[in-house]
Amino acid sequence: MLTSLEQSAFSTWLLSSNSIWAYPTVLTLHTFGMMVLVGAALMIDLRLLGFGRGIPLQSMDRLFRVMWVAFALNAVTGTMLFVADASKRGPSLIFWTKLAFVALGLVMAVLIRRRNFEGSAETVVISGAAKRLAIVSLLAWSAAITAGRLLAYVA
Amino acid sequence: MPELANQADLAHLHLLLNHFPTIGTILGLGLLLLAFIRKNDHLKKVSLEVMFLIALATMPVYVSGQAAAEALKGQAGVSADAIALHNDAALGSFIMMEITGFFAWLTLWRIRRVGRPTTGLTYTVLVLSVLTAAAVARAANMGGDIRHPEIEGGQYSGLFGAAAAPGSGFISAAGIKDFVLQHPFVWPTCETLHFLGMSLMFGVLMIVNLRLLGFLRGMSFASVHRLLPFGLIGFGINFITGMFFFIAASEQYTQNVAFHYKVVLLMLAGVSYLVLTVYDEAWALPASADAPLSGKLLGGSALVLAVGVMYFGRMLPFIGNAF
Repeated sequence: MLTSLEQSAFSTWLLSSNSIWAYPTVLTLHTFGMMVLVGAALMIDLRLLGFGRGIPLQSMDRLFRVMWVAFALNAVTGTMLFVADASKRGPSLIFWTKLAFVALGLVMAVLIRRRNFEGSAETVVISGAAKRLAIVSLLAWSAAITAGRLLAYVA
Repeated sequence: MPELANQADLAHLHLLLNHFPTIGTILGLGLLLLAFIRKNDHLKKVSLEVMFLIALATMPVYVSGQAAAEALKGQAGVSADAIALHNDAALGSFIMMEITGFFAWLTLWRIRRVGRPTTGLTYTVLVLSVLTAAAVARAANMGGDIRHPEIEGGQYSGLFGAAAAPGSGFISAAGIKDFVLQHPFVWPTCETLHFLGMSLMFGVLMIVNLRLLGFLRGMSFASVHRLLPFGLIGFGINFITGMFFFIAASEQYTQNVAFHYKVVLLMLAGVSYLVLTVYDEAWALPASADAPLSGKLLGGSALVLAVGVMYFGRMLPFIGNAF
């Protein structure tokens, strides 16, 4: 099945078209989505860890929406990139490791939002549990980026 | 993609730009000394801004120098050793310059927060500026030894390191190149750090500039200003890892139009970062207030520039030939 995905007309177009709108643009959009998603997550994590205390937590709530939009972009562009290279990515342990860390990062985002942002009152004292979630989130995104980058270098 | 410059243009550009770091550092240092003598805090700020801008302007000087070296390679009457010696000295002074620029920025950031120049940081910049001015002058003099027949054999020719072999100094471009190319783990590691640094930098730019644009409400500008150093840490990571790429495989960047655009946009992004740091109108913005039009223009352009830098970085292998 992976091979048939890879040999589809779409994959052929994405990989072998010389157009800058094919592979280069999809890859750039994937990078853009990553930068926005991870950038927003890092800012929330840093705030929970005590940096920029003057920023009210509630005012950062909109960043979660930014994260979901960026994730949607990357789910789409990521699927396109996977399909084009399916027989190589499918059995790749690094690829599934990357997806696992992305999932972990997203779960952390949901938990962080539920515990610190979904009250009517502003959270003033950040709990130890919230800080631990922030650290796991930082590590998860760093690991996801590391695995993603390694995909380009380890066959 | 329209070409910005070919190799000969870049070599020419190097000859034009290479005076900026020398003269600029001395000018910035002179202004800083004058500010100390006159006890003028405003002048201190101006001199720190000059230092930061000169650190930005030094980037195309170093980069175009590689193109100039490639253009000169193999020509009669040009010593490869003289080029290598100048390259090492230039790299060392470039690193000094960027460290000085970083501390100048940090001092400006502190001034914005506490209202006056803090002693420790200002003196740090002063000392670094003196060292940088000396390092840059040395590199410039060695550059002059590469091909200036009118001064050959003169009193100042070969003033520095004439007897030294290339690569024997503290910093060796050839040594760094070998290190990156001989260890297969270095390039992917630097790439990973480059992407992490980019995300950190963009996260900070997003929160600060979306605040200015009005998309993030309920936070004062002063509170997001607190996060600006993280953006510069991200930039520092990317500057260092980016230099590893550039030194290891400079040919694939000097002749790559995407890289030329990237450097230009990076300098403009640096200027907008400086404005964000010292910007008076935005500093006073309380949590609920809308930024003035100038603030929105600044926020919008800072984000566009950052995305542009990322775009041309990602396009290096597709528009140009980088791997």
